Amino acid sequence: MLALRLARGARPAVQLRRFLVAVASAGTGFLLLCALGFAMGHPHDSSAAALRLAWCLAPLAATVQFAVAVARTDPATRPRSGLSAIGLGPGRLMLLAAISTAVSCTLGSVVALLCVLHLRGDLSGLPFDGEASELLAGNQPLPLAATLTLLALVPLAASLASALALRPREGRPSGAGRTRRTGTRAAATEAGGSGRDAHPDAPGPPVEPHPAPRPTPTGLPWGVAVLAAGLAVETYASRSGPASGPALPGSLAGGSVGVLLGWALTTLGLAMAGPALTHLSGRLLQAMRPGALRLLAGRILMEEAGRIGRPLGVVCAVASGAYAMAALHADARPEVGPLTVLGVLLVAGCAVGTLLTAAVEAKHARADTTAALLGLGAPATLLRGAAALRAGALLAVLGPLTWAIAGLAAVPLAD
Amino acid sequence: MVAPPDNDVLWARALHVKHNGSPALSGVSLGVRVGEILAVGGPRGSGKTTLLRCLSGQLLPQQGEVWFNSTPVHTMGPHTRERLRRDRFGWIDPAPVLVPELNAWENAALPLMLRGVGRRQAKTTALEWLERLDIGGCARRRPYALLQAERQRVAIARALVPAPTVLFADEPTAPLHRVESASVLRTLTTAARSHGITVVLATHDADTAALADRKVSLLDGRRVNTVHLPPATETESEGRAACSLSA
Repeated sequence: MLALRLARGARPAVQLRRFLVAVASAGTGFLLLCALGFAMGHPHDSSAAALRLAWCLAPLAATVQFAVAVARTDPATRPRSGLSAIGLGPGRLMLLAAISTAVSCTLGSVVALLCVLHLRGDLSGLPFDGEASELLAGNQPLPLAATLTLLALVPLAASLASALALRPREGRPSGAGRTRRTGTRAAATEAGGSGRDAHPDAPGPPVEPHPAPRPTPTGLPWGVAVLAAGLAVETYASRSGPASGPALPGSLAGGSVGVLLGWALTTLGLAMAGPALTHLSGRLLQAMRPGALRLLAGRILMEEAGRIGRPLGVVCAVASGAYAMAALHADARPEVGPLTVLGVLLVAGCAVGTLLTAAVEAKHARADTTAALLGLGAPATLLRGAAALRAGALLAVLGPLTWAIAGLAAVPLAD
Repeated sequence: MVAPPDNDVLWARALHVKHNGSPALSGVSLGVRVGEILAVGGPRGSGKTTLLRCLSGQLLPQQGEVWFNSTPVHTMGPHTRERLRRDRFGWIDPAPVLVPELNAWENAALPLMLRGVGRRQAKTTALEWLERLDIGGCARRRPYALLQAERQRVAIARALVPAPTVLFADEPTAPLHRVESASVLRTLTTAARSHGITVVLATHDADTAALADRKVSLLDGRRVNTVHLPPATETESEGRAACSLSA
């Protein structure tokens, strides 16, 4: 109940993030149920049905990642004095986070179920002249156990993952970011209502305001190695002949298992190298006698590399995959089904959403420093300029890299 | 509006401030003379911080006027006040709020860099001030590697580096032990006197207030001559009986 009460009192931005999680969960649940419908409609083609189910893993993973990012940013899951005074420590807050994630995801799953039932014509007549009913095996009753299992998959996975991400750890009392101290209530009260909105946890417990810097991300060698291995595997597999591997959904250019494996490795490598690349961008930005703007932008980027880098790597991986796909099918437009479009949209949307949520989380964690800078009289344009500079630096470093990797990944498939 | 007397660098008249309805200041008037060190005393919750924030232009009073060098601060827009704060005022928080990503000298040089001073000159000035505050040795360390007293000295150096006209120190020695607190305050007041910086110092400590030229006391958001709490009217046993649940 407490989770629901806390959820009800949240700000619109938080509610929007939760709503997006519910939407992502609904999309994934819908895809899973569609796979079930395909399996029911084609009882003899079990391998194709299993393949469809396997392709649902990508949206599932993206949804879970997004849900975890939203749970980490959720102000309700941060330690705060109001709750710690009544004995709700980080352990119970972890539970709260898991419950609120489960609530939003279950909401999404219910919507997915309603959609499927409606399309099958179980609720009120057949929409779309019954075309969708065929896809979803509308002539057969929906098996209860299978439906429930598939629908419970997203809420369970998401709440487990967010509980794991927010589990209390030694030396890191706050899961999502540092809470504010009384010394900097300046900015919060100055702007009246809007200022308070920006820092919902104003009276926080005394937390060390000068935390030790995060260790420099060291994933670059590993990331590059995995990426290179992925490209090599892909090239090798495509050279060994056009083997008949599992088809990509929506009759996209299929490749052998090796090509797909190579692609997956490339993606993984990009995600692993993300933090180190972000750190590198920050280091470059603040090099060579910086002024206040470059100094702040670069150092902040170096500090936030661990937080932003990984979702950024995932976004780059998704973008490179999309670019490679687009490059392959530039001339011949493939028959892309609505379900494939939905899946691609889900993965891309969740990746971008996770990145944006991580950026929000980083902003919350830096609220103290921002208040201190504003107290010094730093103009707001400087802070905005620093943020824009950070985004520009990341784009300048990662954009060409993504483009190059996408080009390399598309070469073996184009043959 | 009546212009304030000329020898006051800061002048406040009948300030009324409420934080979301709860009164913080009710009718405080105050004049700060050029080059003096003014202590604002009073217990916690008496409105010291709010008064300092009104005077420094961080907070607009709901009623009342604030004048700085014969310029009205209470009618300025947010950008003008921000520039005034950047160019003329210094601020020291009760606990040092440094930018954790920058090392000590970069933190101290930041106000100068924000004013557009070149990096080399800002660095020289910052290092000079750190040396003067006895923390020249840790100029290259990040805040997390400094002791709390050293951080507070960096924060003081940061406030002094741009040579502000008025320095607002909100209980600058609150988190420090007494020995450190005395030495930090001494360096602060000495530096301010030698550079002709006006200091408004909020403190609830009588020893700290003794270092100042003049003292103003606040109690429950009003200016009083002496902080003298009325004695409790009820004895302890009566109070206990009154609060008892069974009674």
